[in-house]
Amino acid sequence: MVNYDTNIYLTLKLQNKKQPNCIIFRMSCNNLYFWATYNISTVLNLVEKELEDKFLNDFEANQNIVHKVCRIYTTNQDAHNDLFQEITIQLWKNYSKFRGEAKFSTWMYRVALNTAISLYRKSTRTIQTQDITEYSFKIKAEDYDDTEELQLKALYNAIRQLNDIDKALIFLYLEDKSYKEISNTLGISEVNARVKMNRAKDKLKKVLNP
Amino acid sequence: MDLDKYKKAWENQPEETNKVSKIDIYKMAHSKSSSIVKWIFIIGILELIFWGGLNLIFVGSSYSQVYEELHLNALVKISIYLHYFVITLFLVLFYKNYKSISISDNTKKLINKILDTRKTVKYYVYFNLFYMVLANIVVMCFIFYDLDGLIQYYNNHGIVSSDINKNQLIVSLIIAMTVTLSFMFLILWLFYKIIYGRLLKKLYKNYKELIKLEEVN
Repeated sequence: MVNYDTNIYLTLKLQNKKQPNCIIFRMSCNNLYFWATYNISTVLNLVEKELEDKFLNDFEANQNIVHKVCRIYTTNQDAHNDLFQEITIQLWKNYSKFRGEAKFSTWMYRVALNTAISLYRKSTRTIQTQDITEYSFKIKAEDYDDTEELQLKALYNAIRQLNDIDKALIFLYLEDKSYKEISNTLGISEVNARVKMNRAKDKLKKVLNP
Repeated sequence: MDLDKYKKAWENQPEETNKVSKIDIYKMAHSKSSSIVKWIFIIGILELIFWGGLNLIFVGSSYSQVYEELHLNALVKISIYLHYFVITLFLVLFYKNYKSISISDNTKKLINKILDTRKTVKYYVYFNLFYMVLANIVVMCFIFYDLDGLIQYYNNHGIVSSDINKNQLIVSLIIAMTVTLSFMFLILWLFYKIIYGRLLKKLYKNYKELIKLEEVN
């Protein structure tokens, strides 16, 4: 049996005339060589499966980001689910190209905001009702105090009244993102991001304290 | 300063209670997108087919007999080949632009690319309208130049009686042409107002908001 603790080297041999549908792996272990032949589709399925598993794990761990984006860009549960689904589709569609250049969560912020700002079509089938009180914002139990809960509610209501770009700015500010990251995400200069942020904050304050 | 307490409330907000399970994420990830980009792609393809088809059918086949009697065949053939060439060119351009749209880009670049894709189709439609008007004018010129030939053609096919007034014929031809073209423009205008107006309003608004102040700084 192969001792898997030692290094196993894999060599791919793609060209194989006798079995064109197969990939041959040349494995070496402790100076012992052996060959293994796998059907290409089996290998691809395995690769796809692994990618999918990784995606599902990454997504599940960070899904709160997407929920927050959905909450600020939609006003009812149906629309929330709609946008959530579209963001999921976009994340998965582009996941193979993502390749971990940045942190998954950083990339997720970008895709989620881009989808909300540029791709999402407000569904016209459902009537736009303002049932925004649906969400329950229960603050953690230890220091339970309903002022924070009310503040959070007021904050969400206020953010929803801003335009799409201001929403993104305020959201990134609340999520503690640097101006560098904000300007990178939106594609504007850092100076412009600062100016826009100050205006967005002013607008937000005006809504919060009229 | 004032926002700090709100920020603190934001940071302390609980996680979403309706967590989506892995199975549901999987199902969602594999469902069909209904994004603006997808609609622009579908409508763009339909437009390419519609305008290309309309011009090729109108100019190409239905009046070929008239052209033959008016000795316009060579001209019509050249224009059809030219048209095929331009359609291919636009299709390639459209597809390239569409493919370059990436959600991983920054927001400004993303909106820019979506609007560029849409613009490809717009220019294609302009080209078709221009082509249609030009083709009509050229044909009209030839017809006016050789009005007897047309009258003879009409006589041969029993469309009008032989004692038709030349001026009357010119007027009715111009009216027919104007009506047809205005109808086209009306359809186009409605099409753009209704479909693209609704689809792109948000994108234009967000893009404007994004580039605002950009030139100043």
